[in-house]
Amino acid sequence: MRRVCLIAWAELALMVRSRVALIGVIALLLLSTIAAATSYAHMAQERLGRIANQTETDALFEAQPARHPHRMVHYGSYVYRPIGTLAGFDPGIDPFSGTTLYLEGHRQNSATISAVRENSSLMRFGQLTPAFVLQTLAPLLLIFLGFSMITRERTRGSLRLLLSSGVTARDIILGKTLALGSVGLVAIAPAWLTLVLMAIVMPSEAGAAAMVGLGYGLYMLIWVVGIIATSALARSGQAALLVLIGIWCFIAVVAPRGAAELANRLEPLESRAATDLTIQAELRQLGDSHNPDDPFFAAFKARTLAHYGVTKVEDLPFNFRGAVSAEGEALTSRLFAMHFAELATTQRAQSNIVANLSIFSPALAVRRVSMAGAGTDLETHLRFLQQSEAHRFAMVQYLNGLHRNRLSLADDAARSKDPQAEKRTRIGATNWAKVPDFVFKPTSAADRLSAAITPILILALWLGATVILAGWSGRVLAGRAL
Amino acid sequence: MRHLWREIKFLLGQRASVWTIALLTCLAALSVGLGLQEVARQKAAISEVIALQKTDTAAIKTFATDAGDAAYYRFHPTWDPPSTLAFAALGQRDIAPSILRIRALALEGQIHENEAHNPELALPGRFDFAFVLIYLAPLVLIVLFYDLWSGEREAGRLASLQALPKARMRVWLPRIAVRFGLVSAVLVFVFWGGALISGAGLSETIAFTSLILTLVGFWTLIATLIAKGTGSSPTNAAVQATIWFVITLIGPAGSNLVINATTPIPDGAAIMRENREAVHDAWDVDRDATLQRFYKLYPEYATSPPMQRPFEWKWYYAFQHLGDQHVEPLSRAYRAGITERDARAGLVALALPPIAIQRGLHRIARTDMAAQSSYQDRIRAYHTRLRTYYYPYLFKAKPFTPADFDAAPAFEHPSGENVH
Amino acid sequence: MGGEGLSLSELVVERGGRSVLDGLTLSVPAGHIYALLGGNGAGKSTALFATLGLLPVVSGQVLVDGKDPASQPDAARASVAYLPETVALYEHLTARENVDYFLSLAGQSCTKAQIEEAFAQVRLDPAAQDQRLGAFSKGMRQKTAIALALLRRTPVLLLDEPTTGLDPQATQDFHALLLDLKASDVAILMVTHDLLGAVAVADTIGLIIDGKLASEWQAQGANRRFDLQALYGAFTHARVGHAAA
Repeated sequence: MRRVCLIAWAELALMVRSRVALIGVIALLLLSTIAAATSYAHMAQERLGRIANQTETDALFEAQPARHPHRMVHYGSYVYRPIGTLAGFDPGIDPFSGTTLYLEGHRQNSATISAVRENSSLMRFGQLTPAFVLQTLAPLLLIFLGFSMITRERTRGSLRLLLSSGVTARDIILGKTLALGSVGLVAIAPAWLTLVLMAIVMPSEAGAAAMVGLGYGLYMLIWVVGIIATSALARSGQAALLVLIGIWCFIAVVAPRGAAELANRLEPLESRAATDLTIQAELRQLGDSHNPDDPFFAAFKARTLAHYGVTKVEDLPFNFRGAVSAEGEALTSRLFAMHFAELATTQRAQSNIVANLSIFSPALAVRRVSMAGAGTDLETHLRFLQQSEAHRFAMVQYLNGLHRNRLSLADDAARSKDPQAEKRTRIGATNWAKVPDFVFKPTSAADRLSAAITPILILALWLGATVILAGWSGRVLAGRAL
Repeated sequence: MRHLWREIKFLLGQRASVWTIALLTCLAALSVGLGLQEVARQKAAISEVIALQKTDTAAIKTFATDAGDAAYYRFHPTWDPPSTLAFAALGQRDIAPSILRIRALALEGQIHENEAHNPELALPGRFDFAFVLIYLAPLVLIVLFYDLWSGEREAGRLASLQALPKARMRVWLPRIAVRFGLVSAVLVFVFWGGALISGAGLSETIAFTSLILTLVGFWTLIATLIAKGTGSSPTNAAVQATIWFVITLIGPAGSNLVINATTPIPDGAAIMRENREAVHDAWDVDRDATLQRFYKLYPEYATSPPMQRPFEWKWYYAFQHLGDQHVEPLSRAYRAGITERDARAGLVALALPPIAIQRGLHRIARTDMAAQSSYQDRIRAYHTRLRTYYYPYLFKAKPFTPADFDAAPAFEHPSGENVH
Repeated sequence: MGGEGLSLSELVVERGGRSVLDGLTLSVPAGHIYALLGGNGAGKSTALFATLGLLPVVSGQVLVDGKDPASQPDAARASVAYLPETVALYEHLTARENVDYFLSLAGQSCTKAQIEEAFAQVRLDPAAQDQRLGAFSKGMRQKTAIALALLRRTPVLLLDEPTTGLDPQATQDFHALLLDLKASDVAILMVTHDLLGAVAVADTIGLIIDGKLASEWQAQGANRRFDLQALYGAFTHARVGHAAA
């Protein structure tokens, strides 16, 4: 062990003396600090903005004057996807998906207003976030600092000297790993520090923060061990460097895009417009509220009349028009739910393809851990859409309930022609405040942890593979030195 | 010429170079194939929606017999078909809808509508030809160039080569030219293959090609300057990779941060909400006042008789338009802000040539921010045609016949790619 | 081949602000072998690089077959072939491909027969001619390089430590080759540590100390004999002196 430490110490001393290595590490620290500070500040501002928007929207809803309840169905409401504390660490999908959803009767709108459509195309080159620095930049720096750690000893002949003085190849590999590992530790330190701070601010997120920290720790270690193993196996420094840059390019640049492209091919999504039109067509099949003789609504009418033992809708103890609205909304909502389930299934299948491909790229695995932990993955977005739809349905049905129970059928029928009837169909503003506010229930800490288990295992698998490679490279090294 | 041929043979005699160039060829061909497929998918999606819309419209026609109902229930498709070069640079097409169905109601609530894409797939960006060109081709050039001088020096051949007569003309220039030429040829021919399949025009293909050559030329220049230095091969490779990383990843990401911080735009969500407030407030304010405000904008309808009933379609469409009018300054500022951000990105691109080239590719392929906003402008113009088409039926009680239902203006795409 | 041979006169070359050559004067007529001896850092290799026009000359003049590499580098280089200390050709090419490639770089071309003749002249095993250089011994590499020099038919040949690392048989073969070249009127300048090798082939031996020619000996008599004792004395003295400085 003492020999291992000595080798590591010598390597670190060399790095400190070589200005290039020092500048590289300082540049990385600087970049990760800038990334952490700006990303955290930006997401905090974004979070406050959405909370302010939600408060404003809810206040506006409650402040609406006395109205016909169906007007409120069309007035609708907005919900804004909340942002978790860890989103500053990895904004994930947040900038690439709509953040604002308009909830109204009869329609299911898409989430709109996304950063990617408000930014210049520069954004598509990558965003300076702690996650980007750790996933993409840090491995490249480790490559530059580590590729020649062992090839250098061999080409200079010092390897033979070391081996002949009783140091084993294993000592050398371990020592160099320790040295490069310390650089990795320096690289990841600001990120870990940020995660600890976030966990202190929001203790409920501590588990997720620990998981994200573990994921990145494994990822760094994979690179450190892999780089040392490559340096031991390569015939020359430049061969090691080229191979490593190639691997880096594949893992961090090509694989994420390739995996996304493959997922798009294998699980194509229908366009939103086509889905909307399909829903309309299915709706016409089930029941056409515009057709007085429509069998669906005729059956509903017959059923209702029979239930109350009356022969005319006018004799019902409530406003039949409101009941029809509620029935119609239930019908469309069933279709919305069905098609949303299809969409969610397809999107989850797409993301699963990417997840499975992380066997080929630990960057994909660590990204999954990172986004799941930060609550900025697809799952969070789908949950937001699903809960918003549930909220929309509850809100509309509450208003339809007011329509059914508080309005007379005669006034309701005459309101477009008779100003007095129109006045009578307006109900008090106090009712609006009774609509429950939208409260987003983010993925629970337990769910996020379980979503991260597979990618963490994949990272562990990668680490295992690189350790085996490093062990083998030690034997090769001992053989080649003679 | 003799020297070029010799150096081509020489370069292709080295296994590493052959593999590198073969890899570039495969990736470029793959990206073009995927791009063509994606463009075909987008076109199919547009046709599908237009077909489905016809069925929907036919169903609406059976009950929407007055102009108010027709304008309310009937959606009209608008579309933005991919250009013939979109396959090579898909740009922003994955995150913005290429089909938007609109109706004659307030537009601000409709125009921000998003496509149902999976954001996790949009996050890393597309694997298109532009990606291969901007990200991967420079790395291939680095592999081919980094040890051009240092490799000869380290092998002890540099003095022998320098000692040859006309070494610059016979050794170095041909070696640089061959590397530049092979990488350019691979990229250009693969691109031309795609352009031919996609039926791209000559002038745009030439413009695109010149950008490809400029990019390869830029990196050839950088790589040559670094390779000619006194650094060792690994140092040269590391320095070139760092330059690549800073120019293609750190530079744009950092600039984006600065641009966003210095170019604030109005909150898009607030515009939508403001629009809704303006539209729905109309139900609770004096209806005649609303109409009078509308008549100021459209004096030709001022002679329309006053409202007889609490609800009339003409009043409804009047306040829809007034709602749009209300947020017009905000909406304009929002769009101007996005345009300004893009313009500033253009300034950044002056300092980072690959970014400028990427923007050029997207411009030519009409997949950039400007293409997105011009599609939105076309939607806005079409929306105006659409609502004003219904106005005479609403305000002048012009009889609305089934023929008038059919005669509603249809969206036209300037490229002439109209699907009827 | 004939020609004007090689001459260096009052040559001053600086590297890193220090005079490495400080007025070096020597001349190698056609059909003459000149061995330049000197300790490490005496300026031997610098003299070769200056001759090739790879280093700027502060003052003085080099004439390669009558052409000054400072003013007409391409014409001068076309007249000179150079063998570096470690013959470095392309490892992934065969001996024949290497010769072809370098000839083409030099702007020349040869027939297959001429190449075979050159290989025969340097006694390179015919089976080796189409093998990659990666498998060659140092002697075989050198033979390939000399075949190349022969084919270039330049009137001047520069050799940098040509016999370092060669076994005695290969050294003997190499010396025989040099004498062949000399017979075809090539002016040969070789810089070397190897006193005995120099004595075996050279017509003139020069000793360079601190960038200046310290002494020069001509081969004497019909057997081309040098005064070995004097040479050895001067040479060791130069090395000791240099080490002491």
